[in-house]
Amino acid sequence: MHLFFRFARPALIGITASALALGGTLAVAQSSASTVIAKRQANYKKMGGALKTLKDELAKSSPSRAVTIKASQTLANTAKLQVGLFPAGSGPEAGVKTDALPNIWTDRGDFNAATNNLISESAKLAAVAKTGTKAEITAQYRETGKSCGACHRQFRKD
Amino acid sequence: MLNDAEETGRVKVWDWPVRLFHWMLVVLVAFSWWSGEEHCMEWHRLSGYAILGLLVFRIYWGFAGSRTARFASFVHAPSRVADYARTLTSRTGEGSDGHNPVGGWNVVAMLAMLAAMVGAGLFAVDVDGFESGPLAAFVTFEQGRVAAEWHEIIFNAILVIVALHVLAVIFYHVWKRQNLIGAMIHGRRKSRNNAAAAPVAFAWRHLLAGIALGAGAAWLAANAPSF
Repeated sequence: MHLFFRFARPALIGITASALALGGTLAVAQSSASTVIAKRQANYKKMGGALKTLKDELAKSSPSRAVTIKASQTLANTAKLQVGLFPAGSGPEAGVKTDALPNIWTDRGDFNAATNNLISESAKLAAVAKTGTKAEITAQYRETGKSCGACHRQFRKD
Repeated sequence: MLNDAEETGRVKVWDWPVRLFHWMLVVLVAFSWWSGEEHCMEWHRLSGYAILGLLVFRIYWGFAGSRTARFASFVHAPSRVADYARTLTSRTGEGSDGHNPVGGWNVVAMLAMLAAMVGAGLFAVDVDGFESGPLAAFVTFEQGRVAAEWHEIIFNAILVIVALHVLAVIFYHVWKRQNLIGAMIHGRRKSRNNAAAAPVAFAWRHLLAGIALGAGAAWLAANAPSF
């Protein structure tokens, strides 16, 4: 046993050290993945809430312009942040609960196009909210909502 | 077989509104499932309103319909349910004059779960906040998301109840040689002892009242006030 340990100890230490290092790297990777996932999920929830606020407001007979401007700006500003929150390794393989499908990373061009579609539609919405009529805002609200759904069907686990 | 010689007649067991309700519910639940999966939310909402109307009608019919449709005739105490359950494996004997004591509770569970399903759907909000139930304006986005989660959980419970129901119907068909599907289509069952069953009848004014209540509930949901 002593002999075994005399030779084995350095190897054991080496293995333990590299295991710890690897574990540490994985832990860091996972924690940064979980941070970025939490961040983008919070943003999506914020946008969902803003879209619902718009929907509820536009259902009223005389919607408040202040409310529609604020909600559409929240939507437009948050939309721009999302494209940067899908780094490699933050998909289902991160081991954190996420509905992001792996094809976000394999069909990255399509995903970016879908995200850009949201950015441009929500920017139009923020613009029309300032000056447009209720009908015009409602029409652009629908276009924006469609851009959410189109991307979800392709890239989000149902 | 001995019993066949005694199978001399058929007796009425279900009134036609119960049968129509049953098959409309089958079609609408299946359609709701499909339209929900396919994100055809306009159709999904309409289907939900129709189911709401059917449920309101059926609950009213449970008090005002023909005798086999009434809750009082098929919702029994646990002791009676247990007594009946002990006779389940028997292959002889007369078919139930309406829902049997075990199946009666399955009906109650089905109606309760469907009501909870519709209730959650009224307030449910889709993940993007774009699609929602007709009363979602009364809740926050987060609350609406919780309602949507329940909408899905309850649906799984309904699938379990439906599976139990279908298995029971198959069991009766194969083991007890009682054709429950036919009875739910034409309204009659075989009577082995040929005993005259009490009539299965209802009053037309009650039917009209039930339809008015159901249609009114569906209309209210479809035209929910948003202010």
